[in-house]
Amino acid sequence: MVKIMEKIDKIKVENLSCFYGGKLALEALNINVVKNEILTIIGPANSGKTSFLRTLNRMNDFDANYARKGAVYLDDENIFYMNPEKLRKRVGMLFAMPIPLPMSIYENIVYAPKRLGLVSKKSDMDDIVKEALQEASLWNEVKDRLNSSAMKMSGGQQQRLCIARILAIKPEVILFDEPSSGLDPISTAKVEESMIELKKKYTIVLVTNNVKQASRVGDRTAFFLMGKLIEVGKTGEIFVSPKEKQTGDYITGRFG
Amino acid sequence: MFKLSPKLSQKIFYALLFMATLLVITPAAIIIYIIIKNGASAITWEFLTSMPKDGMRGGGIFPAIVGTLCIVLCAISLTLPIGVCAAIYLNEYAKDNLLTRIIKLAIVNLAGVPSVVYGLFGLGIFVMFMNFGVSIIAGALTLSIMELPVIITTARGALSGVPHSFREASMSLGVSRWQTIRHIVLPNALPGILTGAILSIARISGETAPILFTAAAFYVPHMPTSIYDQVMALPYHLYIISTQIPNMPKNIIFGTALVLLMMVLSMSLIAIVARIYFRKTRKW
Repeated sequence: MVKIMEKIDKIKVENLSCFYGGKLALEALNINVVKNEILTIIGPANSGKTSFLRTLNRMNDFDANYARKGAVYLDDENIFYMNPEKLRKRVGMLFAMPIPLPMSIYENIVYAPKRLGLVSKKSDMDDIVKEALQEASLWNEVKDRLNSSAMKMSGGQQQRLCIARILAIKPEVILFDEPSSGLDPISTAKVEESMIELKKKYTIVLVTNNVKQASRVGDRTAFFLMGKLIEVGKTGEIFVSPKEKQTGDYITGRFG
Repeated sequence: MFKLSPKLSQKIFYALLFMATLLVITPAAIIIYIIIKNGASAITWEFLTSMPKDGMRGGGIFPAIVGTLCIVLCAISLTLPIGVCAAIYLNEYAKDNLLTRIIKLAIVNLAGVPSVVYGLFGLGIFVMFMNFGVSIIAGALTLSIMELPVIITTARGALSGVPHSFREASMSLGVSRWQTIRHIVLPNALPGILTGAILSIARISGETAPILFTAAAFYVPHMPTSIYDQVMALPYHLYIISTQIPNMPKNIIFGTALVLLMMVLSMSLIAIVARIYFRKTRKW
């Protein structure tokens, strides 16, 4: 019999510490991300959650003040020994503010596949664009204006375009960095819907400031505080009966 | 001591600041007025397209116009690619270390060197040591070195104008740094780089000292045929006819100045129009 919901660790983090200019931002973190789950990370500002996220696809490498210790394994391969460009192709990232590139909707989606040499034929590009936009539930809204500038879309559409752009390079993991902090509730709901749809195919790590968002979409939730992982567990359990007092205080809004 | 009421002091300083601004445009207006008034009568088609006659006192200034264009175009085609490459390196790749700081210091210093020193440098290196002689190439190399810091600075400004988030978005998709520069940063910085280049052309068209010893000749009876020829150049020609030749008709002096001024101003105008156009079509 085939086990459908077999729990495989997609990402394993071992003793990861991050520093900015010598200051500890994340301390000896051990956590795993299960394949096809949404792991949400909550915590107040300066809790190290974004540092953690940006370490997972090594976007922090561009910061000269940044240093790290420990190991992160993606399918048992240490990402710190991987080619960072190959890593980022496998681990996509959605930023807090939507960042469409200054070109058409169509061009935005085929940009990375073209640069990475994944496509060359026009018909293949058309397929990729349609597929990615459908998967990001944006196709019906923009199919008639693929050649218009992506800068003219609404914020929520832009964010979904950014999701489509990531899907076009067929990643394995998608990192969401507070993806709805700049969006209205309706756009947020749409992004959350697509996240739940996406976890069937991808593994998702979501950093959010919005505790309610974590409870809506997270399979498991981790609570970070001052650079430390306080608690991680099934979202239902964390929200109903947190083991740590700090977690309970944060979730119920007593601080943060 | 007496104290001004806020309303009065506001008025006084407004007037003061406005006067200072007015003062800036007066010399520009007076220069243009005097040159047009005295020189417009000299400007004819023949003046622009024929050789000088009667020991410069008659005829036209065609060879000086051609000479200046040759030197300037040669200089910009040397300095633009090098300057843009250096700007890309400094802006996109260089880490903040001792070497980078020394390079940046060198650029600032290069921009502060007086132009006549560049002229002497060009004479020593290009004319004598490299044995180019007094020639278009020697003058162009001298001017290109002089203009390099300006090109680097304006190109860096244009590159920095492209939002950092575009680079992050591109690289987060696994696209390499060079591809990001090539396909995202450069296309969006190009308008700024080009307007900077046009302004540089305008600036070096009027430079006299750097070409004084390296490229310009008192009188050349024929058009240049190679980059190793010496040429007449507008700013140097203007200097000669205003100081070295007795009984020079005044309208030819001012006419020559007018041609030089128009060359420079029209290029600046092109740069301004281009900048307005690009700002309108900018996509972010």
